[in-house]
Amino acid sequence: MAAIAVHQFAQCITCHAWSPDHAMVAFCPNNNEVHIYKLIQEKWEKLHVLQKHDQIVSGIDWSVRSNRIVTVSHDRNSYVWNQEGSEWVPTLVILRLNRAALCVQWSPKENKFAVGSGAKTVCICYYEQENNWWVSKLIRKRHDSSVTSVAWHPNNVFLATTSTDGKCRVFSTFIKGVDIKEKKEGTSSDTKFGEQILQLDLSFSWAFGVKWSPSGNTLAYVGHNSMIYFVDDVGPSPLAQNVAFRDLPLRDVLFVSEKMVIGVGFDCNPMVFAADETGIWTFIKFLDERKTSSSGPKYGSQFSEAFGKLYGQSKYGVGNDAVESSRTRGGAHVNCINCIVPLREAGSSRITRFTTSGYTWDLGSQEDLLNYL
Amino acid sequence: MSNTLRLYLACIRNTLDAALCLQNFPCQEVERHNKPEVELKTSPELLLNPILICRNEAEKCLIETSINSLRISLKVKQADELENILTKKFLRFLSMRAEAFQVLRRKPVQGYDISFLITNYHCEEMQKHKLIDFIVQFMEDIDKEISELKMSVNTRGRLVATEFLKQFV
Repeated sequence: MAAIAVHQFAQCITCHAWSPDHAMVAFCPNNNEVHIYKLIQEKWEKLHVLQKHDQIVSGIDWSVRSNRIVTVSHDRNSYVWNQEGSEWVPTLVILRLNRAALCVQWSPKENKFAVGSGAKTVCICYYEQENNWWVSKLIRKRHDSSVTSVAWHPNNVFLATTSTDGKCRVFSTFIKGVDIKEKKEGTSSDTKFGEQILQLDLSFSWAFGVKWSPSGNTLAYVGHNSMIYFVDDVGPSPLAQNVAFRDLPLRDVLFVSEKMVIGVGFDCNPMVFAADETGIWTFIKFLDERKTSSSGPKYGSQFSEAFGKLYGQSKYGVGNDAVESSRTRGGAHVNCINCIVPLREAGSSRITRFTTSGYTWDLGSQEDLLNYL
Repeated sequence: MSNTLRLYLACIRNTLDAALCLQNFPCQEVERHNKPEVELKTSPELLLNPILICRNEAEKCLIETSINSLRISLKVKQADELENILTKKFLRFLSMRAEAFQVLRRKPVQGYDISFLITNYHCEEMQKHKLIDFIVQFMEDIDKEISELKMSVNTRGRLVATEFLKQFV
């Protein structure tokens, strides 16, 4: 299966987000602006350019119901943009950060958003009506290094973070006046803001790309040691699994359904992981078909193919006779993929389409993977 | 080309393939700054273990990686005094023009002859496998260059000596 749509917007895209109706896409072309493009009659037209940040915009998120864009940047600032007429108007966000902001995500109810930063803190921002700005509460003293990725649990209170100290942590972000305390039996009493529910020390290298499954039961994140970690039953006694793969590390993951995860990273090729009936996660295949790779997790046959290429190298020129040239990746992406965003149909918990920094992929056409959805 | 050189270069290529997984990372120490962490070394959690690949006692390659930058230092084979001088002069010539190479470091790391510094910005502008090809090709060519230089020095010396001594014949 190949990508169904390939769009070349810029040489390098830092991050991107889709509008609720999937007609517009906002992304950062590796500078301090945010470009919004709209699909008009099969062609992408640049509609708006949001220019308020001084340094590269490291995170963009577009809320689904309230149609607001939040952007965070390496210049320690963040803005929430509202569409008024044909213009996007920024609202100030008091982040109180003294280092760069690295990632951002709207909460499921869209009344809060979380920002991970290089100041080893996480800011949870909520709207203050009286002053028309967004105020933040900080989770300090828990992280030993920069927070690379944040993810909200469907209950709008739990937040998972990954950091370059290799650990994944889950916090409670209950804010009085913004969140409503659920009077259900069985809920934990850890409803204090900033309370650390769980700390996972599974990776000995940097951790990136944490995501919750649609039900909030499973957590997945990747480590720079070419491993992906799945944690089931997040709570007092979690069940952790790790899948090691022989390719370059991943940067981000996406839960397509409760049992299927797509990972993207330095290999320029999305990888599919799925859990079978017993709950064991394994690597299934690469999404981009390449001539040299074989389908299915048969790493043995891949290796012998590579050897065939080495020995069959023809001698052309004095310089090249012994040094093989690097494998050119014949896929859609040429450089590393750094984020994956779903194109979610309203009301559906199954995701069949997603985009990776400029390329749209459709899972629906893949028959063997539909079993896992 | 000899078998050991092929293996040495293949090993370096594979290591670089894995080590060149760089991403943009703002400095944790100074706000609004973006520095190559492998040069700064202030946050040990952002550095990976350095790898030393030795072909023999005289030739080795040190690869140090961090989250946003990679440093490769090479020690070139120098068999005698003449090659020592030629290597030093030739590599100094290249290092002084480091801007033209973009990935070259102006001063080699202590104990090595030449160093490269590759940051995430280089990986964004240029393709990763082309960067690796460049480094490996450079290592291959360096040996040839030094041998050629040595041969030309010897040839010239022989010519000069022949001409000079002709007057005494």
